[in-house]
Amino acid sequence: MSTDKNILDKVNRREGMTVPDGYFDDFASKMMAALPEKPKAPELAPRQRIWLRVRPYAYMAAMFAGIFCMMKMFDMMRSPSADLNIDNYPAVTAAIDNGELDNDIFNGVDENEIMESWYENGYSTEDIYTYEDSIDMMNDTIDQ
Amino acid sequence: MTVEIPKEDKDLIARLQDSSTCRDAFAEVIRRYSEPLYWQIRRLVVYHEDANDLLQNTFLKAWMYIENFRGEAKLSTWLYKIALNESLSFLEKERKRQNLSIDEQENALVNNIQSDEYIDGDDLALKLRQAIATLPEKQRIVFNMKYYDEMKYEQMSEILGTSVGALKASYHLAVKKIEQFFENND
Repeated sequence: MSTDKNILDKVNRREGMTVPDGYFDDFASKMMAALPEKPKAPELAPRQRIWLRVRPYAYMAAMFAGIFCMMKMFDMMRSPSADLNIDNYPAVTAAIDNGELDNDIFNGVDENEIMESWYENGYSTEDIYTYEDSIDMMNDTIDQ
Repeated sequence: MTVEIPKEDKDLIARLQDSSTCRDAFAEVIRRYSEPLYWQIRRLVVYHEDANDLLQNTFLKAWMYIENFRGEAKLSTWLYKIALNESLSFLEKERKRQNLSIDEQENALVNNIQSDEYIDGDDLALKLRQAIATLPEKQRIVFNMKYYDEMKYEQMSEILGTSVGALKASYHLAVKKIEQFFENND
């Protein structure tokens, strides 16, 4: 056993300090006489009180919102959304079938502007013919 | 962690929360806890006069805030917390007032023990008090609670807000340092 353990065992737990005679007998009565009549706990500000009452519900609402968002995210990750299927948009399908969409796209483009910009950027006439041939080939493929 | 409240505490708490019995119940609180709280404070601040003032402040604060005590912890734990905060605030104020470093204050506490008017026991007891006074504040508190008050680590953990493991380590270190103090001062 260590020296310290011997010392701790030898020393009485209350030894070493005393109090004036009758201190504890008098203390209770003196203390009671010194106490104010009514305990006055400091009032919480109204805003604090409201927040304390609302806080559990706010936390619960935030928790449910979090769970909802998580479930929505998992749902989106699991299967492609049916809303994005083109079959759900008959007007778009009809426009593609009728070639309206092609016209709407290509009618807005001026071919001369494209040619001019190509010349400005250093392309040769040969390049442009190659481009025109490829457009024709593409149109043939689409028509077929 | 659920704290089991002793039955006598439950009855006392119920009386404290009733405005018609509150004052009488508080008188019982003072009778029951003044001595253990006094010794807890006295071991930290050394002088009786300081301990007496701090004990009064402790009960005054407990009385003022008794409506906020919901009985979720033991009454003794709550009172120990108030007493500890009062004692530590007092030591901090004294340190600032006297412009002392933490080490210098520890030395002053050792010297105060020698000049304490209300001392008892032999040289061994005095030496042990001096050895305890040389410990860092946290270890001193832990050692006092464990050795003198024979408090369980779980209750100490509630009062100090420190894990049981850390408290055990603190106590072990404190014992080692006391052992070293005795070896160096033989």
